[in-house]
Amino acid sequence: MMLLGFRTGLALGLASGVGVLAFTWPLLTGRGSLLEHNASAPIVLGLVLLGVLSVVLIALGEGGIDAKAIAMLGLLAAVGAVLRPLSAGSAGIELVFLFIVLGGRVFGAGFGFALGSITLFVSALLTGGLGPWLPFQMLAASWIGMGAGLLPRGMRGRLEITVLAGYGAVCGFLYGQAMNLSFWPFTLGPGTALSFHAGAPLAENLHRFVIFSITTSLGWDLARACVLAVGIVILGRHTLDALRRTARLAAFSPAESDVGHRDQQSLPRQ
Amino acid sequence: MLGFVAQSGTVHPMAWWGWAVGVAIATTRSPGVISTGLLIAALVLVVAIFHGDSPFARAFPAYLGLAAAIVTIRVVFYILVGIKGGTGFEVSLPTIPLPDWAGGIELLGPVSGSGLMASFSSGLALAALLLCFGAAIALTDPQRTLRGLPASLHLLGTATVIAMTLAPQLVESWQRVRRAQKLRGQRLRRGRSVSATTSPVLQDALERSLKIAASMDSRGYARLRSDASGGSGAVLALMITALIGAALGTYALMDGTTPKWLSVSLLVGGATAAVLGSVIASRRIHSTSYRPDPWGTREALIIVSGMAIATLAFFSADIASPGTAGWSAVFLLCAVLATTPIPVVMAR
Amino acid sequence: MTQDGIIRFDRVGFRYSDSVRQVLHDVTLAIPEGELCLVIGPTGSGKSTLLQLVNGLAPHFTGGELTGTITVAGRDTSTHPPRDLADLVGVVGQDPAAGFVTGRVDDELAYGMEQLGLPDRVMRTRVEEVIDLLGLDALRSRPLSELSAGEQQRVAIASVLTSHPRILVLDEPTSALDPTGAEEVLAAILRLVHDLGITVLVAEQRLERVIQYADSMVLVGVDGTARFGLPTEILQGSPLAPPIVELSRLAGWDPTPRSIRDARRLAGPMRDRLTERLSQQSEDPAAHVRGAVALATKGLRVRYGAVHALAGVDLALHEGEVTAVMGRNGSGKSSLLWALQGSGVRTGGTVLIYDTSGGSPTQAGAVRAPRQLGVDPQSLPPEQAIRRIALVPQSPSDLLYLDSVGAECQAADRAVGAVSGIAAELLDRLAPGLSESRHPRDLSEGQRLALVLAVQLAGQPHVLLLDEPTRGLDYDAKRRLGEVLSELADVGTAVLLSSHDVEFVAHTADRVLVLARGELLTDGPVRDVLTASPSFAPQVARILRPLPVLTVDAVREALAVQS
Repeated sequence: MMLLGFRTGLALGLASGVGVLAFTWPLLTGRGSLLEHNASAPIVLGLVLLGVLSVVLIALGEGGIDAKAIAMLGLLAAVGAVLRPLSAGSAGIELVFLFIVLGGRVFGAGFGFALGSITLFVSALLTGGLGPWLPFQMLAASWIGMGAGLLPRGMRGRLEITVLAGYGAVCGFLYGQAMNLSFWPFTLGPGTALSFHAGAPLAENLHRFVIFSITTSLGWDLARACVLAVGIVILGRHTLDALRRTARLAAFSPAESDVGHRDQQSLPRQ
Repeated sequence: MLGFVAQSGTVHPMAWWGWAVGVAIATTRSPGVISTGLLIAALVLVVAIFHGDSPFARAFPAYLGLAAAIVTIRVVFYILVGIKGGTGFEVSLPTIPLPDWAGGIELLGPVSGSGLMASFSSGLALAALLLCFGAAIALTDPQRTLRGLPASLHLLGTATVIAMTLAPQLVESWQRVRRAQKLRGQRLRRGRSVSATTSPVLQDALERSLKIAASMDSRGYARLRSDASGGSGAVLALMITALIGAALGTYALMDGTTPKWLSVSLLVGGATAAVLGSVIASRRIHSTSYRPDPWGTREALIIVSGMAIATLAFFSADIASPGTAGWSAVFLLCAVLATTPIPVVMAR
Repeated sequence: MTQDGIIRFDRVGFRYSDSVRQVLHDVTLAIPEGELCLVIGPTGSGKSTLLQLVNGLAPHFTGGELTGTITVAGRDTSTHPPRDLADLVGVVGQDPAAGFVTGRVDDELAYGMEQLGLPDRVMRTRVEEVIDLLGLDALRSRPLSELSAGEQQRVAIASVLTSHPRILVLDEPTSALDPTGAEEVLAAILRLVHDLGITVLVAEQRLERVIQYADSMVLVGVDGTARFGLPTEILQGSPLAPPIVELSRLAGWDPTPRSIRDARRLAGPMRDRLTERLSQQSEDPAAHVRGAVALATKGLRVRYGAVHALAGVDLALHEGEVTAVMGRNGSGKSSLLWALQGSGVRTGGTVLIYDTSGGSPTQAGAVRAPRQLGVDPQSLPPEQAIRRIALVPQSPSDLLYLDSVGAECQAADRAVGAVSGIAAELLDRLAPGLSESRHPRDLSEGQRLALVLAVQLAGQPHVLLLDEPTRGLDYDAKRRLGEVLSELADVGTAVLLSSHDVEFVAHTADRVLVLARGELLTDGPVRDVLTASPSFAPQVARILRPLPVLTVDAVREALAVQS
């Protein structure tokens, strides 16, 4: 379905590297760099990330273009977009990740990456609102999808759901921390005791960040982790079965997807 | 909102985005409240006159609300944990020192007028930035803008169009299934009833996505040109080059010691490789566009005004020093330039 | 049939990848250019697969193993995936709305051409052409979600016509449409065949509509074989036959007439015989005793916002009677059924269900009065309501959420507190031979309907409502459904169903209601209503007009009285 050859894998790796730099910029930025003016840093980095994501999406779309994969991406992105207003009531955005995790698990790492970006993009268009944080959100969601596809393939049943729920909880928590980190100077500005100082030692900045994070979003992040884990436990089994069934029915190429055993029963078709 | 006859939908979306980005860059260089306020006023005026009918246009008031929230958050944080001490009037709030493990931060404390003004000003700049995005979305219909994406990004473009078509159907399907499930006369526990409702909705949606895919395939989705073989390798190589450029460029940008010209040129080099690869990839796919949005003098004027605003703002500090509360003649000029779309579009 | 044909199958066999059954086996046929070819076959035969083979969706999209060769205008489908045949073959699937890729009518019309890489000027010209051809001018910039079913079908056909294909493949184009909508679509298709010379391949269950227009037919059997030939040849031995063909077999007409007009010309002698026989029979008005009232509604109103779906309907359903509601799409049939069941919107009026179980024997010739106070179904909690009144909705699969047939039956038993196994028993009567471990989504339309019926009947309600149950069913499944409904009526259940299918209503219903714009226009015995109006008359009634016979069985009975 979404061929992860050597070159596309390399592209994903490089893109992830840029992403790590972009997310941790407050901790790594040295004095005298262009990004010291903290109002413009997320914009510049956001533009870079947007370019990086476009490049990866072009690369993924280059080999083996398959209408089924695109339709499946569109569908799962629509599901995520529809769920986003619901999750705003609880802790924000975790229900969107639910289907990204499950879709990445069934269809593989490359599909999961594309699914993450597209879901956040669509949900921003439909329900969430566009803003300079979007490229960061897209990349974070793509990592979540890619990671779900990289989990060990052979698990089934209760073990699979447990591992996925744990993975979901960890992702939900880390997502909040990562978004905080990249937008920390954006939110606070330079004039507060909790703001970052460019060029300061890593430990000092980190300390300030941790306090900022604990006071503002720890509760939200923990809630998000819980809701995501519970969601996977409730809906995971049915959804994984339905996705695998569809993959079997329509001859998605079995090498990439995670379809499992062939059915012995005959499916009546007309 | 006024919403005039001059439908902004007939203006090429890239022109509006260029204009919005220009104003956005200007807001990051704004010296103070008045300048930012002028830019915001220009933005709101243009949106009020030219917004289209789409649901995105109707969401603009939500952006205004979000902008107000950002300003409030900044001011509140300043009052709570800001570094105090400044000029102007003072409001003495009690100081609450936190224990040492919390970093020796002091909460509240004497709040000064200049400090409040500074936090309000930076908050307003951020709000203005956000409103630029909101304005661009209200003025262009994102669904039609997506059709203008290059063919190389068909993965994103097609999947998004399909998602926007399926999303309302999903909601309607969920309502229908919920109604039908009640017919069975069962009382299910909360968790069971949620999965009982989502299962048919999901199955239906999956079957639908296969039908869409079959329809797309039958109508020739993503046919490659006959002379397209071998381009795939070149595209991938260019993409990897672009990513390497981006990685090195970003690192160089963040590190204070590398010369600025190096980091910028690395980034620009990466961007060029990306654009080149995209063009080659688009050429490989054999598809055209129905009623493409035209690019004319109108669009050129709008995007030039955006660029002019950005350039002026960038060098504003060199041209004239800002006055009190951020007043700047340069920014007044920028705000006026930001309203150029009004006469340009109305003239046709 | 000549060897030259635009579509040629040469000893074609096909099997899906995860099943051992050969869906098609040794099929050879050659469809000439410019013909309307009708593909028929029972559910479970390879009709849809045959259609998918023509444009390459099978095996490239669906997976599976293809033996033999299929040539479409010289191109071999095994080496040409669907996108390479897109300029040659246009396909409209069973659910046209599900195949829409964009949001607006004109974007959808242009989509196919965009994918083929045509220049903008050509695209604009062709969009105008196709709008004229199919009468879509008023719909041009409307969003696709706002169109009616008939309009969606026409837009779907138009959107594949813009690429100027030589072959058009349609899978059950009229199944979701009311008779007027179906006529419009058929007229459009005929125009394409006769004026533009496009080869059209149509699969249909409701043969009675299309049979007169077909130039050739393909009959696909459950064993995978397919016969191709002229309609008269194929219909002679075919197990599937519309009423006109059955009547012709009964009367011994040769050649078999295909249109009502041809049949009327031959039907003179039969009409005379029947007039004699029918005048000799006398109708005993007192013989037909109506059961007690099981459900009564007065002044029922349903309003969604500004739309009045039902404006003051009074009706009563009697025990042991099968009532059919007919009317155009949008006339309020679904709203009526949901409002009666209690879960739908009800803006005004009363609905009362009467429990008449355990009563004293009836007296002939009188309509019994209700014996106790009625209950409003809206006031009942769901688990009690299911024991009195059950509704089978338009898409029955909405109700199913478990992953095996057996699990669904058990859940149904538990919900009503019945003895375990009742639902499974019912299912066995409705659809014999259905294995318990099958996934509900893998079942055919008829089997799914049977499952949902069994689930809803587990509580043995005495009112049963069905919303368009005949959609997608073949003749066999419809016959079985009709038998089941008659059995239920004999036991005392009051059945109300809504349907477009005039033949089914003629066979099964005792009474007919006609709704239009939310008002009840007619309420009378089936024979009177269906023979009174030409648009509602079944084929037999139209052929033998003015005689009041509705079905071939009725003709057979009348003719057999003497002997």
